[in-house]
Amino acid sequence: MSEPVVIERPEVLSVIGQELLRHLMRNWFEFERRLAKIPIIHRLDIGQFTVDDYRKLLLNLRPQVVEGARWISRCASSFDRGHADVRSIIIGHAKDEHRDYEILESDFVASGGDLVEIKNQPRNPGSEALHAFLMYRASQPNPADLLGAMWIIEGLGDKMANDWAARIEDLLGSKGDNTRFLRYHASNDDSHMNNLYGLIDRLCITQEIANDVLRTADVVGRLYAMQLEEIEYA
Amino acid sequence: MSVFITSTGAFLPGPPVTNNEIEDILGYVDGKPSRLKSRILKANGILTRHYAIDKSHRTTHSNCDMAVAAARQCLEESPYSANRIDMLSCATSQGDMILPGFGSMVQADLGIPEVELHTTHGICSSSIMAVKAAFNTLRTGDQSNALVVASEFASRLFKNTRYEATGGYDSIDFESEFLRWMLSDGAGALILENSPRSQCLRIDWIRSFSHADAFPVCMGIGVPGDSTNEMTWQDFASYAQAEAAGAILIRQNIRLLENSVKLGVDGALRLIDEGLLDIKNIDHLLCHYSSHHFRGKIFAMLDMAGARIDEEKWYSNLYTRGNTGCASILIMLDEFLREQRARTGDKILCMVPESGRFNNAYMQLTVVDGQ
Repeated sequence: MSEPVVIERPEVLSVIGQELLRHLMRNWFEFERRLAKIPIIHRLDIGQFTVDDYRKLLLNLRPQVVEGARWISRCASSFDRGHADVRSIIIGHAKDEHRDYEILESDFVASGGDLVEIKNQPRNPGSEALHAFLMYRASQPNPADLLGAMWIIEGLGDKMANDWAARIEDLLGSKGDNTRFLRYHASNDDSHMNNLYGLIDRLCITQEIANDVLRTADVVGRLYAMQLEEIEYA
Repeated sequence: MSVFITSTGAFLPGPPVTNNEIEDILGYVDGKPSRLKSRILKANGILTRHYAIDKSHRTTHSNCDMAVAAARQCLEESPYSANRIDMLSCATSQGDMILPGFGSMVQADLGIPEVELHTTHGICSSSIMAVKAAFNTLRTGDQSNALVVASEFASRLFKNTRYEATGGYDSIDFESEFLRWMLSDGAGALILENSPRSQCLRIDWIRSFSHADAFPVCMGIGVPGDSTNEMTWQDFASYAQAEAAGAILIRQNIRLLENSVKLGVDGALRLIDEGLLDIKNIDHLLCHYSSHHFRGKIFAMLDMAGARIDEEKWYSNLYTRGNTGCASILIMLDEFLREQRARTGDKILCMVPESGRFNNAYMQLTVVDGQ
C-alpha cells in the first residue's frame, strides 16, 4: 500500500484559481441566503423547528447521502491516467463517506423514527434532480467541474453542519445522541475542503474550466436547495 | 457633478468610561454585578466609551444635543454658518422623541432656516444612507451643500431599571444583555460640497446591499423575548405590559450575527466584480466592525478571496470611542483625518456591515487638494 496522496492547500493560488475562489465564495454566500429562505431552515433560524421537522430532514437527506459515494466513485473513475493523483484523493474521499448513511439512519431512529421507513424512503424530486445531475457530470471525461459540487456539498459540512447540529440540540433538548451525522460531517469535511483548495490549482488551468466549476457549483447549490424545499411536500 | 467632504466633526459626551466603571453608571441589576460582562468585553476589545447619562441616570446630553455639538464643530471648521446650509441629512436609531423625525429636532436646535430635510432611521448603516441621500442631492445639482449628522444615545436602554422591569437579574438572557457591554453614545458630522476646499475627500461612490429578505432580525427592539409571541410592542394594551414582556429591551441574536461578517465580505467581493472596488488601490480601510472578535474573521475571509487588505491599512477607534452605532463610521472618519494619516491621492474604503437585518454599506473616498 502506498501512502495516500495529499495535495496541500497552496499558499498562493494561481490567478485563475484565486479569481475562481473569489467567485465560489460569492456563490456560497448566495447559497446560504437561498438556504435561509427555505421553510425548514427558516424554522431552525427562528427557533420553531420541531423533532418532526428533524425526522423529515433526515428522511429527505438519506437518499442523497446513500448515493453520495456513487457519484464520487464515478467521478474518480472518470479521471484518466494523467490525473492519477487527483483520482487518489477522490477515491479516499469516497471511502470516507461510503457508510455515512448508517450514522444518519441511527440518528433518525434516535429521534423516534422507524428504520424501515427511512431505508425505504424514495428520493424527493430535488434529490432526484441532484443525483441525476451529479451522476451525469461524473460520467464525463476528467470532470474537473465537480470541484463546484464538492465546494457546495463539502461546504455544507464544513460551514453549516456544526451550526445546525448545535441549533437542533438546543431546540430539541438533545444531548447529541441524534446529531452524530451532522457532527461527523462537520469534523470530516474540514480536511476535504483543504484537499479542494489544492485541487483548484491542480485542475483549474484554463478560464473555461474555472467557468465550468462555477456553473456546476451554481447548479448543485440550486438543486440542493430544491431538495430541502421539497421536504415541505414530501 | 462631483461631491466632496470638506469638513468633519464629532462629539463624545463626558469623560471616557473604563470597563470597570461601566456598571457604576448603567447600574447593577437587582444590585448584583453581571455574570457576562467580562466575557463580552474581552471579545469586543472595547477599553473606553462615553455615556450621556450620569450615575444617577440623569441625561447629561440629549441625542439632539450630541448631534448639534458634532454639527457645530463641523461648521466651525468650514466657511459656512448654519443659516447657509442647503440640506440637512440626519441618522439615528432612536431620537429623543418618537416623532417627529430626528432631523427636525436637529434643524431646530441648529437654527437652520428653510433647509431641505432628510432623516434615515435604522441601525449602523443608516449614517451611510444619510450620506448617500446628501451625495445624490448634490450630484443632481438640487443643492450645493449638505450637513450630514449621525447620533446615537444607546445608554438609556441599558439602565438597570429597564432589566428590573422585565423580571430582573434572574430573567436576563444573553441576547438582551449582550449589547449592554457593546453600545455607547456619541455623534459625528460631515459637510458635503460640490467643490473641493483645501485638502478634502472626494466621494467616489456609495453602495449598499441589504439581505433582509433572506434572514430574520438579528438586532432590534420591539418584540418580547419569547419567540413564540408574535406581538410587537404597540400590540400590548399598555406600554407597561410591553416592557414587562421584554419587548422594549434591545436584543442581539448572537447565532445570526456571524452572517454580518460573511455578508460584509460578500458585498466587497461584489463591488470588486462590478469593477468599482480595486483592493490594490485601497490605502486605508475604516471598517465599522462592532467587536474586535469580527475583525480577524473579516480579515481572514478577504484574504481567502484574494482581496486581502494589509493590517497596517486598517483603522478603527472602536477600542477608545466605543461602538456608537450609526455614528461610529463618522466619528472614526473624523478622528482618522485629525490624525493626518491620509495623503493626497490616498483611497479610503469605509465599510459598515450592519447586523440589524443585514444591510451592508460601502463608501470609497479619495483624498484631493482643493484650491
